[in-house]
Amino acid sequence: MDERINNLFEALFALTDLRVLFRETAPLHKFSEEQKDNARDILNRAKDALNKLEEAL
Amino acid sequence: MKIADSIPVREVEETYVNIHPIQAAGRLTAEAMKALIAFGDGYSTCDQCRKPFRLDKITKPPIAEFHDNLAKFVNMDHARVTPGARRAFQAVCQSLAEKGDSIIVTAVAHYTEFLAVESAKAVVKEVPLDNKNIITGDAVAQKIEDVTRESGKPPVLVLLDAFDYSFANEHDVKGAVKSAHQYDVPLLYNGAYTVGVKPVDGKALGADFVVGSGHKSMASPAPSGVLATTDEYASKVLRTTQMMGDVTSRKFGIKEVEMLGCTLMGGNILGMMASFPTLKQRISEWDEYVKKSNYVIDAILSIKGNRSLSEYPRKHTLTKVDTTDSFDVVARTHKRRGFFFSDELKERGIVGEFAGATRTWKLNTYGLSWDQTKYVADAFKEIANKYSLS
Repeated sequence: MDERINNLFEALFALTDLRVLFRETAPLHKFSEEQKDNARDILNRAKDALNKLEEAL
Repeated sequence: MKIADSIPVREVEETYVNIHPIQAAGRLTAEAMKALIAFGDGYSTCDQCRKPFRLDKITKPPIAEFHDNLAKFVNMDHARVTPGARRAFQAVCQSLAEKGDSIIVTAVAHYTEFLAVESAKAVVKEVPLDNKNIITGDAVAQKIEDVTRESGKPPVLVLLDAFDYSFANEHDVKGAVKSAHQYDVPLLYNGAYTVGVKPVDGKALGADFVVGSGHKSMASPAPSGVLATTDEYASKVLRTTQMMGDVTSRKFGIKEVEMLGCTLMGGNILGMMASFPTLKQRISEWDEYVKKSNYVIDAILSIKGNRSLSEYPRKHTLTKVDTTDSFDVVARTHKRRGFFFSDELKERGIVGEFAGATRTWKLNTYGLSWDQTKYVADAFKEIANKYSLS
């Protein structure tokens, strides 16, 4: 798979994981410390993939 | 936010706790959502479709293996994916019934069972509920005898919902199988509310067919479902086409008639496949989900006048309650009538009850965390307190 396409899906999939985290914590979305760490990891994955994608354009 | 300028983004599951009776166990897993992103295009399963050109034979992605695993999941010999449980009912009814034959359903059968029987030009005969709203094996036996006596021939099939859509009461499947088999009548186990949320062992039950709903209980996109059967009935229900074109002499030998060839050719089956590892794990958590269901129902029943129309304690996460003597009393004089209740729930971030209904209504707590379970239970009590009902 082209690295750019790989990073595209990586970002989409990371944001999907974040979407599910919002579902799991609805309606108040009060994240526990573990959930906050998880959310940060997910966002870093998405940012990393998007940065690589941007560099490769 | 709109898609294509007109379709609002659905954020129900992200924004609210959704207790909708038929939506709870069909919510997608993260993996199913990813599968939809990657496989949403029409015939996306067909990239590497090779001879013999049939969905359940495709190895990349591993659709063939999934079919084997699906059969093992419900402990049957063969499985096919279908566009919903309803198409599985239809396939079985059309395979077994001749015009005018009788097919037994129950007094709480889903409407699609009626339609499946009608599509096969057969006649529906209903097994009545007992005084606890349960279908018993004895009642099934009695109905088979009645039908045989009245029509001169036995019914060709019994369709039994393990848990029904109306009360989500647990019916006597083993007793019904025993009764049906005494008269050599096959039984279809309708697991629309069980397959994917609790363990189902078709062989242990003695079922001839096991049907599940992907979008109802298998965390899969709609429409999707599963039809599983035994070696004995596979040759009938999964028979292949014998037709030949009179002009072209074309034949399509491997295609299965009742499946109309391939069934789920895109994101739906990949969504099912992607959720499957989660299903295998989550069925072991069923008892915990039933505990959560009872926690919420106990809170509802703690409000004076409320009662459960479903069997209680609950054995399922779907429940029908009667709040005629509590929330409906408020609705009678409230300017918003029954919608006051929906307003109060929505204000607390809870949706999914039938908007405006304050007499009898259903809720399903499947999939909620303990935090969400307690939150929902407290919300009902809070609303009752606000209107001096408790």
